Amino acid sequence: RMEASCLELALEGERLCKAGDCRAGVSFFEAAVQVGTEDLKTLSAIYSQLGNAYFYLHEYAKALEYHHHDLTLARTIGDLLGEAKASGNLGNTLKVLGNFEEAIVCCQRHLDISRELNDKVGEARALYNLGNVYHSKGKSVASAGTHEPGELPDDVRNALEKAANYYEENLTIVTELGDRAAQGRAFGNLGNTHYLLGNFRSAVIAHEQRLLIAKEFGDTSAERRAYSNLGNAYIFLGEFETASEYYKRTLQLARQLQDRAVEAQACYSLGNTYTLLQDYEKAIDYHLKHLVIAQELNDKIGEGRACWSLGNAYTALGNHDQAMHFAERHLEISREVGDRSGELTARLNLSDLQMVLGLSYSTNNSMMSENHVADNSVNGARPRVGRRHSMENMELMKLTPEKVQNWN
Amino acid sequence: SQPLSGRQAAELQSKVVPSKQILHSDNMEMEPETMETKSVTDYFSKLHMGSLVYSCTSKRKNK
Repeated sequence: RMEASCLELALEGERLCKAGDCRAGVSFFEAAVQVGTEDLKTLSAIYSQLGNAYFYLHEYAKALEYHHHDLTLARTIGDLLGEAKASGNLGNTLKVLGNFEEAIVCCQRHLDISRELNDKVGEARALYNLGNVYHSKGKSVASAGTHEPGELPDDVRNALEKAANYYEENLTIVTELGDRAAQGRAFGNLGNTHYLLGNFRSAVIAHEQRLLIAKEFGDTSAERRAYSNLGNAYIFLGEFETASEYYKRTLQLARQLQDRAVEAQACYSLGNTYTLLQDYEKAIDYHLKHLVIAQELNDKIGEGRACWSLGNAYTALGNHDQAMHFAERHLEISREVGDRSGELTARLNLSDLQMVLGLSYSTNNSMMSENHVADNSVNGARPRVGRRHSMENMELMKLTPEKVQNWN
Repeated sequence: SQPLSGRQAAELQSKVVPSKQILHSDNMEMEPETMETKSVTDYFSKLHMGSLVYSCTSKRKNK
């Protein structure tokens, strides 16, 4: 025969996916499906791998389709282990798609079958997946509100507490099994769950464990994640100095890993941390670094945030010219990306700054009028009439530490 | 009453420190998902294990 067999095509698909080329792997798997096979177990393996490849390619609708085919097939041929695996994969995919209730049913099925088969590894993995679903569920409901971690509606708290319980159950098993990599993952996500629950000390304990295991494996990405999460937790413990140290380690590793987006995030976090420490010069330094990368990555939302943060920091220093410049940029970008609340914030900041600079609200100022045309000339283009306030007045702007602590 | 300039500056100060909300808003670093894997090679090798073992042992015997 001239044409390749289904098995040969599938084997090439597997090889390509293992080599990290999921896109090419998908083509071979789809060709294998086209050719077809009488062997339903082979077909099930192809569907499963197609589902996973699409999952890694972030094409979740396709992933859902193939994992569903796999599940149907596994049930048809009475392959219980295969059914458990397909259920787990379907659950993970449904979770990403935000269908948490169905995701829970699928992950629970994965768990039930694993227990029935006395498959400890499968059981642990199902528990981890269930933890992830409840974590995502809690986070998605939480993100709709505007509260801080720790101040949670009941449904969010319930979901997050379930997540924590599943991670703990998973940890018990993977510790028995001596699976350090799995322990690392569970500690990381358990730490993030405690963080959202407002248990910041527990979050630190979990992330410290995660860090230890990441170092054991020489897993730099996981190490970087742990530093970043530790930084976040220390912010909420009010230990800003410690947070800044962890964010600096994050920044170091981001640079080492040459991940510009993560580098930008680390700079942004550092900028915010130094703002909390009231070291506005350093805050500006890091926010400017963040701004440069955001522009480089054409991340308009990041650029807008950088401008807003810079405007605030310059205001704190009493440098109102620079503050105006960045508030204007923030307004421009908010308009560009259609961020209504950003636009409103920028307008309020601008009007405040104009007040301080001695301009009245009623001034027919181009920035405040609706048909504003982007003013690209940086500082000094606008006449600064009747500036009434000397810089000494800006002493008032310094915050007391108590105020910073309670700032929520 | 408080002079206008003082009040304005006080209002401005309230915007200086970012809410800690923005720090946690979207930069929590999650661990990766674990997907269950199936492989045609697993199945393939099980199917052909007998003959492969045979060919390997017979090759060794031939040496």
